[in-house]
Amino acid sequence: MITRVTSVTMMQSASRNMQFAASALAKLQDQAATQKTITRPSDDPSAAAKAVAVRSEQKATAQYVRNAQDGNEWLTTVDSTLANVTALLQRANALTIQGANDGALSSSAKEAIAVELDTIRDSLLSAANTEYGGRFVFAGNSAEPAFSDDFQYSGGQGTVERRIGAGVTLRVDADGSAIFGEGDESVFALLSTVAADLRSGVSVSAHLDTLSTRMAAVTNAQASNGARQASLSDTEELLAATTTQLEASRSSLEDIDLGEIVLELKMQETVYQAALAVTARALQPTLMDFLS
Amino acid sequence: MSTFSGISAASSALAAARASIDVAGQNIANATTEGYTRQRLTLAAVSSPERIGNLFSPQTSAGQGVAVTGITRIANEMLDARVRSAVSATGYSFVRASAFSAVETTFNEPGDSGLSAGLTDFWSAWQDLSNNAGGEAASAVVIEQATLIASQLAAGYTAVSGQWDALRSDASVITSDLNSSAQQVAELNGLIRTAASIGQSPNALLDQRAVLTTAIAEMSGATITQRPDGTVDVLLGGNPLVSGTTAHEVVVGGATSIEGGGVHLEWSSRPGAIALDGGELAGTLAMLAPAAGGANSTLSSIAANYNTIALALADQVNTIHQQGQTTSGVTGLSFFGLAQGVPAALGLSVIPTNASGIAAGGAAGGSLDGSIADRISQISKDSGSPDTLWASLVTTVAVQTKTELQHFALAELASTNATAAQLANSSVDVDEENVNLLTSQTAYQAAARVLTAMDEMLDTLINRTGLVGR
Repeated sequence: MITRVTSVTMMQSASRNMQFAASALAKLQDQAATQKTITRPSDDPSAAAKAVAVRSEQKATAQYVRNAQDGNEWLTTVDSTLANVTALLQRANALTIQGANDGALSSSAKEAIAVELDTIRDSLLSAANTEYGGRFVFAGNSAEPAFSDDFQYSGGQGTVERRIGAGVTLRVDADGSAIFGEGDESVFALLSTVAADLRSGVSVSAHLDTLSTRMAAVTNAQASNGARQASLSDTEELLAATTTQLEASRSSLEDIDLGEIVLELKMQETVYQAALAVTARALQPTLMDFLS
Repeated sequence: MSTFSGISAASSALAAARASIDVAGQNIANATTEGYTRQRLTLAAVSSPERIGNLFSPQTSAGQGVAVTGITRIANEMLDARVRSAVSATGYSFVRASAFSAVETTFNEPGDSGLSAGLTDFWSAWQDLSNNAGGEAASAVVIEQATLIASQLAAGYTAVSGQWDALRSDASVITSDLNSSAQQVAELNGLIRTAASIGQSPNALLDQRAVLTTAIAEMSGATITQRPDGTVDVLLGGNPLVSGTTAHEVVVGGATSIEGGGVHLEWSSRPGAIALDGGELAGTLAMLAPAAGGANSTLSSIAANYNTIALALADQVNTIHQQGQTTSGVTGLSFFGLAQGVPAALGLSVIPTNASGIAAGGAAGGSLDGSIADRISQISKDSGSPDTLWASLVTTVAVQTKTELQHFALAELASTNATAAQLANSSVDVDEENVNLLTSQTAYQAAARVLTAMDEMLDTLINRTGLVGR
């Protein structure tokens, strides 16, 4: 059917065309102003689904970074404490060797060594009860100090773990029982025994082996702690890279390409102005303009 | 052939030209009237009378002038029917597309204020609590995030049920509009039949009725059948809404709240759902239908999804939480509570009020163990977690919305084309009417000239003949 053109149909199609041009312009302006390509999920359902997943992955990664930072503080505290403990034990070892030299030492000299060993024992006990953020780093999940005054260990119920990735946790405490020993077997009790033996004139050379076993335990703990710290800093680097990459994905899904949008906006403006100009020209003349 | 027959022919020409000018004037006056259909004067030449038995006057005759036989309304029933079927499809799509767009807006996704952000913050808060089990600050954050999620779920559910209520009252409004339009069509049917029988032009009434039947088609997808006496029948689901001069009333029946099941249209005289073919009512009733299967194609199914998410959240968190113990060793505690007798999304509550009510540690761990809090924080990684359910709800509704919007765009294009075709046929063109006006004006002048010629001729005959020798 051949379409008849009337003033009404011309007016309607002109206004429809202007409406199309204006709504395309408005959408582009909205995108340019909000800097977002997806303002609602139906704009692009699959990109929106990905954006939601990426956003939750971003938050999870931020949480892993926080966990890793906290874990790092724990490991650093353990590490510096163990370094301190090693120094103390080395001094105790030196004193014990000195004290084992039975013939050359007077009882007052032995008493002086015994007093220093007592001091070292107290320092060790306070090192074993080191706190970080209100938690005893050698006591596992216990709320009590790791070692009581009679050298009883309060921990032993599980380890302190930090989640540094989906399905990955890292131990951030150190086993006080393995490092210091418990009760009569503990390094504290050992030092007390050495001091008591020195005072009572018993040879202390028999304790040197035990002491070196204890020192080895501390060194072992320090090594495994150091290994975990190294793995944690690797993880932190990885998390930093993941953070950057996730932000890039989110941006590519949600954010506009400003240059492209501005270009399209400019083009659409021209289209709209053309529609206006054409409409103004097409609708003006009627037959009445030419009848005298 | 009488001497004065020329005068009567000229006079009929004057009358015809005047009538034609009147029609052009009427068309121009209604150039922008909605639903006005342009009219044309139909003329017929009047032939000379048969001469019977007069063999002695065999002159041929030009005829007896012109007769106005009627005013035609230039409408095309096929184009009108096409418009009705197009607007009925547009009405259906429009309601569905608007409803889905509105629901989708309440999701606030993707963004920082949606439920997915709330859930992620909630799991993060459990991680922080795991790092600092029993800490009052970390516990307070967990409780606050949980309360936030509960209120987000309730707000989402309320938005959907509010949408349901709005559409339910829309259905009633459209139905009463439909009934009053049907009543008017019935009355117009009567007037048109009367006008046609006494020879009046029913054109204006026909225009009014066409506007109403198009509106009825848009509202309900009803179909129209023409009857020989000029009336129309309006059929809804195969039964007459209007039959001749009788209109039958329809009412909305069924549930009055989203929890109550489906809503349908029925005859007020005879209960039972009417099957609608399209129109706003069909779209509205489809959105109000009860949840069916897994498809998120109705408001009820979207609301049901909110309940599923609330239940999954409460169930999954509580299952792990009940295995844990608080810092003081209490076990078997629930974290989320569900009120009985209300939808889960509205009845979700947070039970603990401070650290003493949160079981963050495992039964075998020390008092500051955070392993249960850590396990709860990992719920989001499971398939079937609230996060997954929510993401799938958002995605399916987004896809559905996009589809509905595309349907609407297509339906609107079809109805724009149908309306344009109808208007191309029926609308008034001012230029064309101007030409008609000029033609009629010229015809009038010419007829007046004919009359003058006749007059002069008779003057010659009457006053100037037979004066020889006077």
